[in-house]
Amino acid sequence: MIAHDEAQEIAALDAVGAASADEERDLGEHLAACAECRRVRDEYAEAVTLLARGLTPVPPPAELRERVVSGEAADNVVDARRRFGSSKWWLATAATIFLALWGWRELTMRVEREKYTTQEAEIRRLAEDNLRLSQNNEKLSAEMASLASAGTRTISLSGQQAAPSASARVFLEPERRRAIVFFYNLPANAKDKSYQLWVIAAKPQSAGVFDVTGSGNATITIENLPVATEIKALAVTLEPRGGVAQPSNSNFFVMGSSSL
Amino acid sequence: MSASVDSSSALIPAVAGGDVAAFEAVYDRYSGTLYALLLRILGNAEDAQEVLQEAFVKVWTTARMFDAARGSEVAWLISIARSKGIDKLRSRKIRSDRENDAGREISIHSAFVDKTTGADVAILSQERIAVRNALAELPEAQRIALELAYFEGLSQSEISERLHEPLGTVKTRMQLGMKKLRERLQAFR
Repeated sequence: MIAHDEAQEIAALDAVGAASADEERDLGEHLAACAECRRVRDEYAEAVTLLARGLTPVPPPAELRERVVSGEAADNVVDARRRFGSSKWWLATAATIFLALWGWRELTMRVEREKYTTQEAEIRRLAEDNLRLSQNNEKLSAEMASLASAGTRTISLSGQQAAPSASARVFLEPERRRAIVFFYNLPANAKDKSYQLWVIAAKPQSAGVFDVTGSGNATITIENLPVATEIKALAVTLEPRGGVAQPSNSNFFVMGSSSL
Repeated sequence: MSASVDSSSALIPAVAGGDVAAFEAVYDRYSGTLYALLLRILGNAEDAQEVLQEAFVKVWTTARMFDAARGSEVAWLISIARSKGIDKLRSRKIRSDRENDAGREISIHSAFVDKTTGADVAILSQERIAVRNALAELPEAQRIALELAYFEGLSQSEISERLHEPLGTVKTRMQLGMKKLRERLQAFR
């Protein structure tokens, strides 16, 4: 760091605006830590103004005073200070703009949230559809495998008095004790009724309940059938919705005996 | 709150507080000196008026930066005006076009609103005479070097070139001149 004498010599030049960039830097570093030289620097800064104070004053034009202190021109500094210092209109304007922008932002965010929620629901629905289709695909694959299996046996069920034109075809896999049954032309069941398929071995066992489509068709898959050799016949009755433990009536819609 | 134009009053702190009357008083008291300074620097009335207005804008907006412990308010005002004047001089590169005699372009406006009191005028005039006497005590070579730096914003090397004097000589002259001005300063504080 430079010495006090050198700092004060540079301060003299700096006051008149003649210090070089390097001298200014050295002076700044010195003054940062030297109160005495800061005082000398201030004295030089005051002293140099004597050059200006010796000039004969020249009154500026009257209109300049008007512009500066009391005019109504837009660049009047006092009015500008008043406008920005004491008037609150700009605060109100800024607040209004802020609220408008904030409101617009909230509205935009709400729309985006709703769009997001809708898209999320759509994604859930598609995922469920995908799962359902995947399960259907799995089921159809299993059914196709059953139909194509070399050990699959076929049982035909014919329409009975309640539905003479109805029929059904059973594809039975004895080894897996599984069957797929296709029903055709059954009358539409009432809403409080279900068709129920019975596997008749030693006694009737429920093989499942089903509804038919508008054309009277239906397909069901039966798992865990009795041993094939025990199956004597298959028959369908119309039962209260959800099915019953044992047939409530002997009014069969389709029926067929096993030829196994 | 309103400010009197008493020479002992602290106008700038009042301006810092938003006192418009104080601001007007500052303008009325010092605008002539600042305008003369800017005419000397810029040599052009239009530029000088523009810069004077800018200087007063700065006074109004930065009055709270004024520190009476570091110097007088007139010195603070002169520093602002001089700094802006030199900036203008450099930015517009009008140095070469400048008139040597600034007064040649000065037109005294009869409509000038001089609101300083008779006492102020007397005090300011006395001070100016004393300042001139102090400046007159400076050797001419020192005074010229200082004036080239202060009013024309020339660097040490530019002054050296202008005066055809060695750089070291110019620097020494300016340092000696500033020391003398500093010694004379006590009479005006």
